[in-house]
Amino acid sequence: MINIRQATVEDLLQMQNCNLWNLPENYQMKYYIYHEVTWPQLSFVAEDHEGRIVGYVLAKMEEDQSEPPHGHITSLSVLRSYRRLGLASRLMAQSQKAMAEVFDAQFVSLHVRKSNRAALHLYKETMKFDVKDIEKKYYADGEDAYAMRKDLIPGSANN
Amino acid sequence: MTDINKLQAKESSLFRSALRFYELKQYKKGLKTAEQILKKNPEHGETLALKGLFLCNLGRKEEGYAEVKRGIKNNIRSYICWHVFGLIHRLDKNYEEAIKCYTMALRIDKDNIQIVRDLANLQIQMRNYEGLNETEYQLVNLRPNNKQFWIGLAFSYFLLKRYDSALKVLEAFESSLKEKPTESKYEVSEMLLFKNLITEESGDLEGALKHLEEFEDKIVDKKSLLEARARILVNLNRKDEAEKIYKQLFDRNSNCDSYLQNIFKCNNINLESPSDDDVKKIIEINSELLEKYPKSLILKRTPLIYLKGEEFNKEIKEYLKIYFIKCVPSLFNSLKDIYVNPEKAKVIESTALEYYDQLEKNGKFDGDEQKQYPTTKLWILIFLSKLYDNKRNSTKALEYINKAIEHTPTLVESYMLKARIYKHAGDLETAMNIMNEARELDLQDRFVNSKCVKYMLRNGNIDEAEKTAGLFTKVDSPSPLADLTEMQCTWYEFEKAMAYKNKGDNGLALKLLHQINKHFNDIYDDQFDFHVYCLRKSSFRAYIDLLQYEDKIKSHPYFFRAAVALVKLYLKLNSQPRKTKEELEMEKYANLSPSERKKALRKARKAQLKNAQTQVEQTQKKEDNTTNKKTDDDPNGEKLLNAKDYVEECVPFIKSLLEFAPNKIESHILASQVYILKKKYLLALKSLKKSLAIDKNNGEVHKNIVQFVKNCK
Repeated sequence: MINIRQATVEDLLQMQNCNLWNLPENYQMKYYIYHEVTWPQLSFVAEDHEGRIVGYVLAKMEEDQSEPPHGHITSLSVLRSYRRLGLASRLMAQSQKAMAEVFDAQFVSLHVRKSNRAALHLYKETMKFDVKDIEKKYYADGEDAYAMRKDLIPGSANN
Repeated sequence: MTDINKLQAKESSLFRSALRFYELKQYKKGLKTAEQILKKNPEHGETLALKGLFLCNLGRKEEGYAEVKRGIKNNIRSYICWHVFGLIHRLDKNYEEAIKCYTMALRIDKDNIQIVRDLANLQIQMRNYEGLNETEYQLVNLRPNNKQFWIGLAFSYFLLKRYDSALKVLEAFESSLKEKPTESKYEVSEMLLFKNLITEESGDLEGALKHLEEFEDKIVDKKSLLEARARILVNLNRKDEAEKIYKQLFDRNSNCDSYLQNIFKCNNINLESPSDDDVKKIIEINSELLEKYPKSLILKRTPLIYLKGEEFNKEIKEYLKIYFIKCVPSLFNSLKDIYVNPEKAKVIESTALEYYDQLEKNGKFDGDEQKQYPTTKLWILIFLSKLYDNKRNSTKALEYINKAIEHTPTLVESYMLKARIYKHAGDLETAMNIMNEARELDLQDRFVNSKCVKYMLRNGNIDEAEKTAGLFTKVDSPSPLADLTEMQCTWYEFEKAMAYKNKGDNGLALKLLHQINKHFNDIYDDQFDFHVYCLRKSSFRAYIDLLQYEDKIKSHPYFFRAAVALVKLYLKLNSQPRKTKEELEMEKYANLSPSERKKALRKARKAQLKNAQTQVEQTQKKEDNTTNKKTDDDPNGEKLLNAKDYVEECVPFIKSLLEFAPNKIESHILASQVYILKKKYLLALKSLKKSLAIDKNNGEVHKNIVQFVKNCK
């Protein structure tokens, strides 16, 4: 069984664990805590019937004053064994809704590795993000990133 | 006699700039400035203290402490000296000593706002809420126009559960303001929700409800607003109204289990042991919702939990078919809790077998027109294999997974499952090799890489595991482990520790298990920086959660398993005669032939040399840029292994286990063993009793009782 709900501080260790299993970009617990206490509404988890976290979205608001308010996906991942259920899109939809509703976000942005074709496809085709830019050597290992964006309709998001 | 604590104009201004450097965290410049002052005034107490502070921040702790102490000796009446002494204790996370120093500083300069604020921070960290309340009160008195201090005071009342006072403080402050402060919509909203929480916690449910209605428009966090309203209505036993709101919430997130559960509860359904009537109601509500939310994952599953007999059979057939077609890898997992019911398990098995036959024969499900893609059959095979693996019937599990691999030789999941079947059958080496095949099929995926690393460690291939882990760690990190440790990757550290332990490399095992404990201590300390931050950001509710969570951080299973393993290892070491270094070396290579042993020894010596060399290099580097980074003074865990008294080393971990995992039998089994050895029979008895209460048939418990009786005689 899969349950999707807003993340709480109690979930952070498991989110960190899920991130370390899945993705090459990792963060210390303090960074997770920072997200959780600053924008508690924006991060969500998917858990199985035993309460094990099998997917999460860790998100924040960008505080760059030169642009209209917008959200940013710091990290999104779903365990390989829980794919094909649409968990990533569902997690994203919840986060985006909160960005627009709580923080008046106009759009949401994220980065994806240029070589990660599966993720690129997911963001582009399923979640309707557009490639806005290429950021050279964005990742620690020198790989470029696609900077992607999606407009949000204030107060709502597609489910 | 000249006053050693008097500075000339020039030095005075230097002193002020040194203080600025501290605020700006420019410690090297600060140190230089302090040294410049000391050239002329070598005994100036406050400058000595400052110099010590800079040294400590630059990682030169011993010198730093010495200078600060000299500073205090030379000027014991200076609040600066005491404040600095407090700061270096704080830096060392020695909060209790820091509080003492701040208190001394405040005795000399009782209205120093910076020190009072620092003290408040420490009091939260130490959960001294009474003290915090007094300190916050003092801050408000010192700066009655500072909004933060009023909020701090209110928050301290909240922590003391003096809810009325908390609300009064917030109201008093708001009405006393001449101008409305500029606040974002979000801050206003969070403050309203905080006030609402206080009202709710105080038990004034009607008041809380009214408050929500009054300020509905100003609360931007609509989800929290609805959740609070629904929760309060339930507690007021106004279930009809609550149900409506839970339905609104479900409309926002139709995969949230708690909303669904609450909808059921609002209909007076007993979910623990539902009557036939309850089941009927559940199904009715569920199908109504399913019509509206056909994509909801939880709604599709709910009937499987509650239906029985024919109705269940019909439902499960449909469920399996949908997900077989969708090729969902977690299908079997999604049924695990249902599978524990033997009758249902039988139907699940026979249905899957039936479907497999149908596809095998006709390429389509009976009664269907359209043919299935080959992938449908593939995922039925995988499902069946998982099912038999779950029953630990490895012959059948292998039979189906081999068919799956034959069907599609490139699917990573099939190999992962096959590896798992071998793991369950106890063949760790084959399991590892197959998992490595899986990994090689998708080199970009860290998940399968991580699995492979884990399997390598389980099989004792430690070096290979480290190398494989390194495919996804930072290139500029000294080693894969170093990166994983920095990222607090406890699963890797734990698995690696177990691998070392199995090899008899107990020093390294101890070291890694201690490292896990350190992560938890670090995470506990992480909260320190959020005390001021959260109140400034109006993150009251998340902050309250944070404080509560940090209080029980060590109840997390990741800590529990590491602490249990650590105590067990210490007790094992304690039961064996101590070995010399040579004996340990020999033991490591005991299973090798003489020539292999020589080779291994040579390799080990080489590694040691290299290790020593990199250490030297690192020390040099460290001296070059005097960073805060410590070099590892116990790279092989020898110091840990040389501890005088292994049983004594267990005590802090036993205390953590008893405090944070008091309902786990392991905590009490280990506690009674440790306390018997420490001859603390009363404590041992207490844990024996508790372990008996948890499971009176546990063999370990009875062994402990025998030991206890023997020792007590």
